[in-house]
Amino acid sequence: MKPGEPEATGLPGLRTWRRVYAFVALTFILWVALMVGLAWRYR
Amino acid sequence: MNALDYAVLLGTLVGIAAYGMWRTRGGGSLRSYLRGPDSTPWLVIGLSVMATQASAITFISTPGQGFEDGLGFVQNYFGAPFALIVISALFLPLFRKLDVYTAYEFLGKRFDGKTRLLGAGLFLLQRGLGAGITIYAPAIVLSTVFGWRLDLTIVASGLLVIAYTVSGGSAAVTLTQKYQIGMIFVGMAAAFVVLILRLPRDLGFSGALAAAGGFHKLQAVDFSPDLHPRYTFWSGLLGGMFLALSYFGTDQSQVQRYLSGQSLRESRLGLMFNAVCKIPMQFLILLLGALLFVFYRFEPAPVFFNQSAWQRVEARDPAGPWRGFEADFAAAQARERADLGGWLAARRAGDAAAERSARAAVAADEARTARVREAAKAALHAADPHISANDADYVFIDFILAQLPHGLIGLLVAAFFAAALSSKSAELNALGSTSAIDFYRHLFRAGSSDRMTVAASKWLTAAWGLAAIGFALSFRLAENLIQAVNIIGSIFYGVVLGIFLAAFFLPRVGGTAVFWAAIAAQLLVFALFATLSISYLWYNLIGCAACLLLALALQPLVGRGAAPRAALA
Repeated sequence: MKPGEPEATGLPGLRTWRRVYAFVALTFILWVALMVGLAWRYR
Repeated sequence: MNALDYAVLLGTLVGIAAYGMWRTRGGGSLRSYLRGPDSTPWLVIGLSVMATQASAITFISTPGQGFEDGLGFVQNYFGAPFALIVISALFLPLFRKLDVYTAYEFLGKRFDGKTRLLGAGLFLLQRGLGAGITIYAPAIVLSTVFGWRLDLTIVASGLLVIAYTVSGGSAAVTLTQKYQIGMIFVGMAAAFVVLILRLPRDLGFSGALAAAGGFHKLQAVDFSPDLHPRYTFWSGLLGGMFLALSYFGTDQSQVQRYLSGQSLRESRLGLMFNAVCKIPMQFLILLLGALLFVFYRFEPAPVFFNQSAWQRVEARDPAGPWRGFEADFAAAQARERADLGGWLAARRAGDAAAERSARAAVAADEARTARVREAAKAALHAADPHISANDADYVFIDFILAQLPHGLIGLLVAAFFAAALSSKSAELNALGSTSAIDFYRHLFRAGSSDRMTVAASKWLTAAWGLAAIGFALSFRLAENLIQAVNIIGSIFYGVVLGIFLAAFFLPRVGGTAVFWAAIAAQLLVFALFATLSISYLWYNLIGCAACLLLALALQPLVGRGAAPRAALA
């Protein structure tokens, strides 16, 4: 990383990168659940 | 296509290319030519990364995948979010800290010159092969449908992308991708809306989903541990993660895109944008295909969606079985439509028993329709072996031509070409940069000035573009196009990823051990690919694991002078 590059994400509610990564992982789980739900609903 | 469609097609494509050349005119430093303006915000990086991955094949071929096999192909992308997290947390800070132009420069700093050249060479080999497909794929489909000459279509689109990529370098690629992906989104959204509007009025969106579910087209996730199905949750999550880790983390066409961010934060957010959006985007494109399947159960469909090939064979052999196939298919479809009507009526009435019985009748009809189609395909392929029996790539185009209004047809065709140009330009940019930085400047002209390296990069980009055109002019494809690209990638990506992971996680392993381990692992993947019938996604994992394990085993035998890990920390 270049000197002085900001570590902060600048995202409200997701102030650290760990939180951003956790958000991405949760979104993945949500997509999979929605797809499973769609197939179950219209099976 | 009429004059309005051609005006939209040529106006948008040439306009965007000309604008990109004009905005990035006047050359610049080596840094700005290879990395862009160093001020790119995260959304533009995110769109650029997305546009680089999403080629014309994505938009032409993926709906065909959805039509044939349902939503299962989306599992191919399940590993991508996690791979992008690893790249954002681990790869990206190091690439930026070392201030490299190419990912392979990093290998030179961590290991040695020969390992850097091996990584760069494997990239040039697999990406050079893929580059031919990127340019060939939309050309073969569109030239077949519109009766354009295939060679002229390949050459014209190839020369257009070479012109602005050579002229403006990375900045032109990023700038044009922003407008190209915007056009693609508008075109695909318009097609989706038209499809929904053209479904039978009493069916509705919910009824269409129910019908798609009844035809087993909505099974997106398969948790089976079996290794043989091409797409399962596990192969997508594990194999797909290794594929995505290698593609986004070590493929220069992607690394070059996110290194142009104005800060680490912008580059990271650009990657996270893709981590969140990639799966729903692919899901929607596949869903479009699944709904097309339903649409063609209520509307007359051609026996074979590559209609120009069908008509060509029919004209050559008028006494052949073609009319008979058409009549059988039409009769089978009419019967299926009638039974589908019965199913809809039972569904509206809430009569579960009648609904079950109608669904059983529809399933029998569908099996009959499929048998006629398979027999017709086999006869067509026997009559002309050059015609691929796989017509899935023509399903979406057929719908566009038959159902969309003029103007919108031109926009969709322009969107396909825009997708081809956006991924092609990033590939050429990366091939030119890697050849110039990792071979020309590193191997042949160690003391060359920045001006000379920019000139070399321009010549090499043009040369790769011409080679891709030549390659595209000379080959035939039988596989579904999007799978062909992923198969080629999977054969090489695992080993390249193994080299990079050894650099990050095996601090005691040196260049010589990794170099020979990578060569042995690549030969192993070739051998396994030729002999096994497992899902190609697993080769990403196998190549990577073999490279890492062999490097560890070889290090005590050949290892000397492993780079101290502290130098990169």
